[in-house]
Amino acid sequence: MQFFGGSEISPSPPAPTVSGNNANMMYVFNRNGICLLYREWNRPLRTLNPQQDHKLMFGLLFSLKSLTAKMDPTIAEKGNLGVPQLPGQGCSFHSFHTNTYKLSFMETPSGIKLILVTHPRTGDLRESLKYIYNLYVEYVVKNPLYSPGTPIRSEIFNTSLDQYVRSIA
Amino acid sequence: MAPAGPRSGDAIFASAERVNAELFTLTYGAIVRQLLTDLEEVEEVNKQLDQMGYNIGIRLVDEFLAKSNVSRCIDFKETAEVIAKVGFKMFLGVTASVTNWDADGTCCSIVLEDNPLVDFVELPDTCQGLYYCNVLSGVIRGALEMVSMKTEVTWARDMLRGDDAFELQVKLLKQVPEEYPYKDDE
Amino acid sequence: MGREVSESCVDSLLTELVSTYSTRFYANKPDLAAHSIEAIGYQVGLQLSERYTMDRPRFSDHLEAIKFICKDFWSELFKKQIDNLKTNHRGTFVLQDSRFRWLSRVSIDPSENGDVSEDNPAGVAENKASLVTKMHLNFPCGIIRGALSNLGIPCAVSADISNLPACSFVVRIKV
Repeated sequence: MQFFGGSEISPSPPAPTVSGNNANMMYVFNRNGICLLYREWNRPLRTLNPQQDHKLMFGLLFSLKSLTAKMDPTIAEKGNLGVPQLPGQGCSFHSFHTNTYKLSFMETPSGIKLILVTHPRTGDLRESLKYIYNLYVEYVVKNPLYSPGTPIRSEIFNTSLDQYVRSIA
Repeated sequence: MAPAGPRSGDAIFASAERVNAELFTLTYGAIVRQLLTDLEEVEEVNKQLDQMGYNIGIRLVDEFLAKSNVSRCIDFKETAEVIAKVGFKMFLGVTASVTNWDADGTCCSIVLEDNPLVDFVELPDTCQGLYYCNVLSGVIRGALEMVSMKTEVTWARDMLRGDDAFELQVKLLKQVPEEYPYKDDE
Repeated sequence: MGREVSESCVDSLLTELVSTYSTRFYANKPDLAAHSIEAIGYQVGLQLSERYTMDRPRFSDHLEAIKFICKDFWSELFKKQIDNLKTNHRGTFVLQDSRFRWLSRVSIDPSENGDVSEDNPAGVAENKASLVTKMHLNFPCGIIRGALSNLGIPCAVSADISNLPACSFVVRIKV
């Protein structure tokens, strides 16, 4: 049973990897670098203002995408570093982790970028990000009050996201 | 396409929330009618229907991608096929076919023989020049633009004008790569 | 069963209809926008009611007709009936749908200050949201008015959304 959304969200949520309160924060960007959503659950250290923070996160992913594609040993034809790519072109990275956190990343062909930062030992979150994309479709895109490309202000979405993230990380 | 491959349109349509098509068809018809009253010029109505479709397309694309499990749209040919086979099916419950590819693979036709938009529709003579289904061309243009493809979409055949099918010609103008969106001011 | 389309087709068409009229055509004339959206709903209600009553005898009184709207008509549109019907027995009927489908995805976050929208404080956004929601309701109000009008009952219809996602439609029959 959904909170009070319309249809069932498919696919159904993947089985949780670890349960707990290990999610730190989440970002959703669109293809123009606009931060549609920043949601924070556990982030003791903060040194930047929100705008700088979002920009830095977006820049990190943008560069990393470009670098990982450049270093791909399996694909012969590739552009120069920094040459713009189509979303989904070339190889794509889906996560990295440091000793203190793990960053999971998904990009859709429409250029929506989902970033979830969790505990460094969290398992594979690719299916979970797909599920969150489905939540975005059901509760954000289908909300008649939402204009595409603007920051998300939806209680239903935030509640479902919080609930779901708590169940996976 | 994605390694897992896109889900079939039939499966998505079967699992989606569906509604009575009459409501949809009559609502669309009533919108066209009201636009004709409010805007008077048929040309302007065509333009507004296309614009409405475009706005709908930029919203629907994410639902399409999320439910169909399509994870990349790089190749125009594959993309056109997926729109026709999966997209039309999952939203309108009908299948379209892709034909008439030009030599360099940048222009094709999407052909629709069954179109729920026109159930019970007959155009009066006063509507000469009206592209009744123009919302569809806008939806395709809008959705493709969101996956980086700038296109031009025009009607080649229209059953309401006496043709034997609906045929949309889709021409790829360019693929727009994703640029770094911020100015280097910091 | 008749032909069906995905619910998103209707939902996205309505969202776009409201946005076209209230932000593109008549941005500064909400009354004109409301009028056109209602007129579209009226037309749809009229035609649907015509189709759904083709094979049935005429209704003997207003209450019978209203009950038809609450049960059969609503079920065709939303796959559920109106949950609660009240009347003052003087021509006013209140039809409550406790989870009105077309508003089920409407949501804003009243608590959030929005980190990117300093020029659009929460209060303003909330007020705007309620205006947009009301604009949407012109369509179903028009549908009900059109459906009843087809049954020979002229009326005025308004909507009350003080209790989202419940929605009450108030039908005042003209005498």
